[in-house]
Amino acid sequence: MKAITIDQKKCVGCRNCEMACAYEKSQETCEVMFSNIRVSDYVGRGFVVPMTCFHCTEAWCMKMCPAHAITRDPETNAVIINPNRCAGCKMCILSCPYGNIHFDHVHMVSHKCDLCGGKPRCVTHCISGALRYEEVGSDGLRYRKDVLPEETRG
Amino acid sequence: MQERKTYHSICRMCGSGCGVDVEVENNRIVKVSGNEENDINRGRICIKGSSAATWLNLPERLRKPLKKTANGFVEIPLEQAMDEIAAKMKELQDTYGKQAVAGWKGEGTGFNQNEQLMRRFNRAIGSPNYFSNNTQCNNSRYEAFYLNYGCWPQADFRHTKLAIFWGTNSPAAHSFWTQDLNEGRDRGARSIVIDTKYNEQAHIADLFVIVRPGSDAVLAYGIIHRMIERGVVNQEYVDTFTLGYDKLKVYAERFTGEYVEKITGVKPEVIETIVDMIQAAGRQVCSWPGTGVEHQANGVSNSRVCSLVDALVGAIDVSGGMLINENMKTNSLVLGDDVPVEGEPIGKSVYPVVDYFKKESHTLMLMDTILTGKYEGRDYPFKGLIMTAADPVMTEANTAKTIQALSSLELFVVKDLFLTKTAELADYVIPAACNYARDELYFNGMEQSVYLAEKVVEEPLQTEYEFLKGLADRLGAGQYFPWKNEREVIEYMIEPSGFTYEDLQKYPSGLRTVLVHYHKPEERLAKGEKPFPTPTGKIEICSTVLEQFGYPGIPTIDHLPDCILQKDEEYPYICMTGARKIPYFHGRYRNIPQILKAHPHAEAEMHEADAEDLGLKEGDMIRVTSRVGSIEIPVHIMKHDTIARSAVQITHGWENANANYLTDDSDRDPISGFPNLKTFGIRIEKL
Ligand code: SF4
Repeated sequence: MKAITIDQKKCVGCRNCEMACAYEKSQETCEVMFSNIRVSDYVGRGFVVPMTCFHCTEAWCMKMCPAHAITRDPETNAVIINPNRCAGCKMCILSCPYGNIHFDHVHMVSHKCDLCGGKPRCVTHCISGALRYEEVGSDGLRYRKDVLPEETRG
Repeated sequence: MQERKTYHSICRMCGSGCGVDVEVENNRIVKVSGNEENDINRGRICIKGSSAATWLNLPERLRKPLKKTANGFVEIPLEQAMDEIAAKMKELQDTYGKQAVAGWKGEGTGFNQNEQLMRRFNRAIGSPNYFSNNTQCNNSRYEAFYLNYGCWPQADFRHTKLAIFWGTNSPAAHSFWTQDLNEGRDRGARSIVIDTKYNEQAHIADLFVIVRPGSDAVLAYGIIHRMIERGVVNQEYVDTFTLGYDKLKVYAERFTGEYVEKITGVKPEVIETIVDMIQAAGRQVCSWPGTGVEHQANGVSNSRVCSLVDALVGAIDVSGGMLINENMKTNSLVLGDDVPVEGEPIGKSVYPVVDYFKKESHTLMLMDTILTGKYEGRDYPFKGLIMTAADPVMTEANTAKTIQALSSLELFVVKDLFLTKTAELADYVIPAACNYARDELYFNGMEQSVYLAEKVVEEPLQTEYEFLKGLADRLGAGQYFPWKNEREVIEYMIEPSGFTYEDLQKYPSGLRTVLVHYHKPEERLAKGEKPFPTPTGKIEICSTVLEQFGYPGIPTIDHLPDCILQKDEEYPYICMTGARKIPYFHGRYRNIPQILKAHPHAEAEMHEADAEDLGLKEGDMIRVTSRVGSIEIPVHIMKHDTIARSAVQITHGWENANANYLTDDSDRDPISGFPNLKTFGIRIEKL
């Protein structure tokens, strides 16, 4: 199973992911309110982290949606909102424990990450390498990678 | 339905050169993504890179040549434009001499190949000059590195143990360095960011140090002083490979903790921590001077001294330090001294070191020469300028003077993708083919690899080669442009390497031409050769080149800006410009609609306490006035001590709040002639 993983300590807060997502989804703007990934930059505490949907195994948003607008894509495992079915009630926004669903005030529907059909645009714009789209364990955690021996270049 | 094809090429939305996959449908670029096979950026690009698909397809792209008439611009056929331009150039050269006309290379459509072509063109038509924006970006560091090492070393962030960033924000300026450093951090690297302002780079730093504007080199000397006192200098290395260490030692003595704190605002204990970190990193240190330190009145010295921090621990040409890079042999397009020119290069007599290393004329002095008809008191008519994809109205210090000078030329030609503010001043505007509509050779220094920045679309527009060749042919200099097209140019360039154009095509994600190997200076020394390509073969801490031209040999910081020594009552705040923002590149991309919506205007960034003193809230409009000019701009308040007190940062490139109306073209570095863009006094009024 592939998922977007976040290595917080690598994030520089450049917001390329936000801009890329907003444009990919809207095709007209890079404004953050149209993005499914959001960077929280706590400048005073020196902490910055991008947040996007985890596509939870037990997705509360999906259970909660009264319009049955939220389904799981069998191919990518993404939890997806169908905007044509979405009634704009915001129950999913309330039910997501991580704040990863957002509201589009123009079209009056909720929106969230859909993994771009398996080619997440945020990841390919993450210039720091903090975001990766990779195979993860069933717990959603990154596989432990053997640390490569230091290259002996010099 | 049209088939969608994906090509590998190189992004030209900034100068970094990320590998990209360009998807083309119906001869139209529809999507740009990172090329995963490219070792430089490993599939990741910034928003500028992918936005090329919008930018290059904008309806405002210039498609027809324009000629300025009494009724404004009118479209004319390309051949007519070329004939008229060439005829006028000839007339100006015949009337005023060959020095009266020259070309200025911008960065909108290509890389180094375009620079070489423009240099070739200028010499071919008998001009002693070559102009580019390097007069105020890059050249100071070029000279600094060449003075120190005889070459421009590359930082090996992937394997370093300690990276020190001086006035540089790689997420905005060299995006893939962020990945490189994070890879290094996976292996235990640490980093220090020294800047006047908290930036993206600082987010992943182990230590972020705020310095007062213009004082970086004082801190660098403070560090060096303590490295010497604490014995954190690799004495054997210094004795074997450097020249002038003793002089540096004496000069560094004045940078006591007390003095450094007074000038920079950095406490002695912070310097101790920095020295501890350097000590712990052994020889794996990269101390990288950015544009922040070169855009100052001591720009060359600042860059030299910041860069010496790693040399003193012997971190040169070792893995995790500064690579002395090698590359494949190529034929240069630049013509030699055997091709005669008329007149003297503008700037050479005043800034001989620039000429020594870079053979580049000085654009700020060009403006004065155009306006006065004199260079250094001598008659010097300069009447015609051919400019490719540069926008000095947005980027050159002293915009008002720049506009006045460019408007008074008898012939001003701009070739660009869009009708820029600079192009508006031109007599002729020639639409430019974009980088994806022609081939170019591209090199990466750290990987020691070569790439074909490949043509992926056909545009019915003229490339820079066709433009320069077309003019040269008409001016009787056609013999210097014998190649039919860019492909033939590239074939000529790579001929000595043994590689062919087909090889480049076969490896669109890069061809490693020379494998990276380290400790070359040690090997050369053992063979009795010069370890470094400087005149003495050593790292010249005390430069023989500078001494030859009458400058002090060691980097001296003698001209600290007045405003950091004492508060100027008339202009009490210190303005800095030139910091880049992620989605923009200098004067470009404000016309990409989706980006402009997210980042709609310029801002004057200032400390919250300063804003409070001035009674300013976020977004309030202010008038900023320097000795040169004034602009109106909204305020952005930087909280949590993320900018130095009394400092105001204004990013350049905004038409309606152009920071270069404030910058002074006459306050310059004595070696490179760089304008001081980082420490000039301003006053602020609330509107
Ligand atoms: S950093 Fe961005 S604009 Fe610059 S080359 Fe890479 S993708 Fe292109």
